[in-house]
Amino acid sequence: MSHAHAADLEIDSAITLNQAKVGCDMRIRFLSGPGCDRLRDLGFCEQLQVRKIADGRNLICSICGTRMAISRELAEQVIVAPVG
Amino acid sequence: MSNASEAPSIIALIGNPNAGKTTLFNALTGANQRVGNYSGVTVEVKSGETFTPHGRKLRVLDLPGCYSLRASSPDEKVALDALNGLLPGESIPDLVVCVVDASNLERHLQLTLQVIELGLPCVLALNMVDVAERTGLRLDPAKLSEELGIPVVPMQANARRGIVELKQALRFPRPHASEADWSHETSDLETSRRAFIARLCELAARRPEAHQQTLSDKIDAVLLHPLYGWIAMMLIFFTVFWAIFSFAQIPMGWIKSGQDALSTWIGSILQEGDLRSLLADGVVTGVGGVVTFLPQIILLFLFIGLLESSGYMARAAYLMDAVMAKAGLSGKSFLPLFSSFACAIPGVMATRTIDSAKDRLVTIFIAPWMSCSARLPVYFLIVPLLLQSKEGTWKQALVLFGIYALGTLSAFVVARVLRGRLGEDITPGHFLLELPPYRKPQWSYIFRHVFDRAMAFVKKAGTVILGLSILLWALKTYPKTPSADKADALANSAIGHIGIVIEPVVKPLGFDGRMGTAILTAFAAREVFVSSMSILYRVEESDNEEQDRSILRDRLIESKWPDGRPIFTPLSLISLLLFFMYAMQCAATTAVVARESGSWKWAFWQFVFMTGFAYLVSLLVFQGGKLLGF
Repeated sequence: MSHAHAADLEIDSAITLNQAKVGCDMRIRFLSGPGCDRLRDLGFCEQLQVRKIADGRNLICSICGTRMAISRELAEQVIVAPVG
Repeated sequence: MSNASEAPSIIALIGNPNAGKTTLFNALTGANQRVGNYSGVTVEVKSGETFTPHGRKLRVLDLPGCYSLRASSPDEKVALDALNGLLPGESIPDLVVCVVDASNLERHLQLTLQVIELGLPCVLALNMVDVAERTGLRLDPAKLSEELGIPVVPMQANARRGIVELKQALRFPRPHASEADWSHETSDLETSRRAFIARLCELAARRPEAHQQTLSDKIDAVLLHPLYGWIAMMLIFFTVFWAIFSFAQIPMGWIKSGQDALSTWIGSILQEGDLRSLLADGVVTGVGGVVTFLPQIILLFLFIGLLESSGYMARAAYLMDAVMAKAGLSGKSFLPLFSSFACAIPGVMATRTIDSAKDRLVTIFIAPWMSCSARLPVYFLIVPLLLQSKEGTWKQALVLFGIYALGTLSAFVVARVLRGRLGEDITPGHFLLELPPYRKPQWSYIFRHVFDRAMAFVKKAGTVILGLSILLWALKTYPKTPSADKADALANSAIGHIGIVIEPVVKPLGFDGRMGTAILTAFAAREVFVSSMSILYRVEESDNEEQDRSILRDRLIESKWPDGRPIFTPLSLISLLLFFMYAMQCAATTAVVARESGSWKWAFWQFVFMTGFAYLVSLLVFQGGKLLGF
């Protein structure tokens, strides 16, 4: 599989963290929105793997072995794609 | 090399919340400090002293936990100021110890890089290596040290492992400030930092690929469940409250017996006269009435410490977010408000973890409406009177619960209105909370913390309340009248006159002058009300507190207006309860609010609003009730 092809596929399958399924491992593609800086401070950085643990008013996800609760507004700014 | 006569070097500890800074600080200094497994336990800069292996004295500063040096919350601002030497009375630290959680390097190193960029000499304390190794992380401290250009000390602060090695790193010659190599790589500092950390973790902290289900995950599956989680939370907090009210009875009895023994002893060694009266009626009665609440306060702080230290408090904040949103606040306001059920002072101080300045102000504003433990003696006195029964029935528990619920509900309504008026934050804050892994509580620190709180309370009893008791005793004793009748003497005393002056103000609420005076004294601290009432209604101390209260209640039932109507009708009692629920009667809280909100204006308006509201509610209820024929 060529490199360019793989990148296209990733963009096609990019969704927000809100849309991701519970229990799925995702990789963060990029962040966009006003909460970016705060999210990066907390470890939501590009290329890192994140697993969504619970849905609801606030999401719970596991990132680098830490569980974080974040609001839906913030999760909307995290664009992820399935791992692998 | 420097000589030993120099002022001690300043070492600052910095790190993300939950990295174990405070644990390390305690291990280094042995200071009285609280450790919470919850973001933001260190709300102020604490300082302590330690020594290098060569015996050189070092001053250690424990900075509040922060995620970055962007200063987006008050804690982070304090940490940044400390690093820049801007805190009053402090200079720029000679060395910064960056405390990181070894199992979370990807996140925690961000802050370390920012500290290195400031050009400060730095040592990396790689804390909780045991946890990291258990999760299968392969750490290479030597490689980390080489890449970052600073000493790296692997350690486990809670087991005191690595402390000596860290102290070795703090000795002279101190490490030099490292070059921030990454900052030249690209134009965007954020991106280069991230790229650098990613490379570093690839080299020195390899994470196993598969996501592992830890014990904390399994516990969370229940405790954060949309249904079971709520049931569990209700059970936990119900147990806490029940334990506080039932277990505290036993030591409260002991304190009471001690107090009576003291009274008897004073009576036996002193002759009848002013001094004996001052000590027995003024000091012992006044201070003793308040110290009996010590066991409840100790238990409440013990449970809060336990919940924080084990990691549950963060889960409760997560669950409560939806409820707090109804009041226009976030889940982060939960801990401060819950603490306020014990005492509004630590509650107000705990608001520093709230990022949004406006949420924080509103939380501070409503915190005193959470029924604090100082109101309990007043409720214990009035509620049985209202129900005309002995203490300890289920009806009273129900009324008490209703009081707590009504206070909280009113606070939420006020919060919602106030929050709406303040408008949105300039930078919208969002709910963001780290859920730390469950840990075994660190008993030694919990006990220290509880001890600190208890001592603070005892100090208050020994100063403010002692002073007021003496003042009150003097006011009701002088000026003296030749008449032997006690009631006459009281009517002619200073307090009798104050009562007459104040009566027109409180009469519309259904209170007489004596109650007005007792309420007035309660503005220093609410719990003073009961001892004031005992002094004003001349109840002699006996060997049983419950009995004392019941004697006082009998006196109250007997007391009448000059025209023969009883003063204490159900309506006037409800009015009194409402007044105590809403009025801001705590000088210490007002002082703390002024400090924490940074303005006396806020504290002043809080006082005016709450007290005015209390007066108005009592007035409406009493006058309305009278019109309806109650």
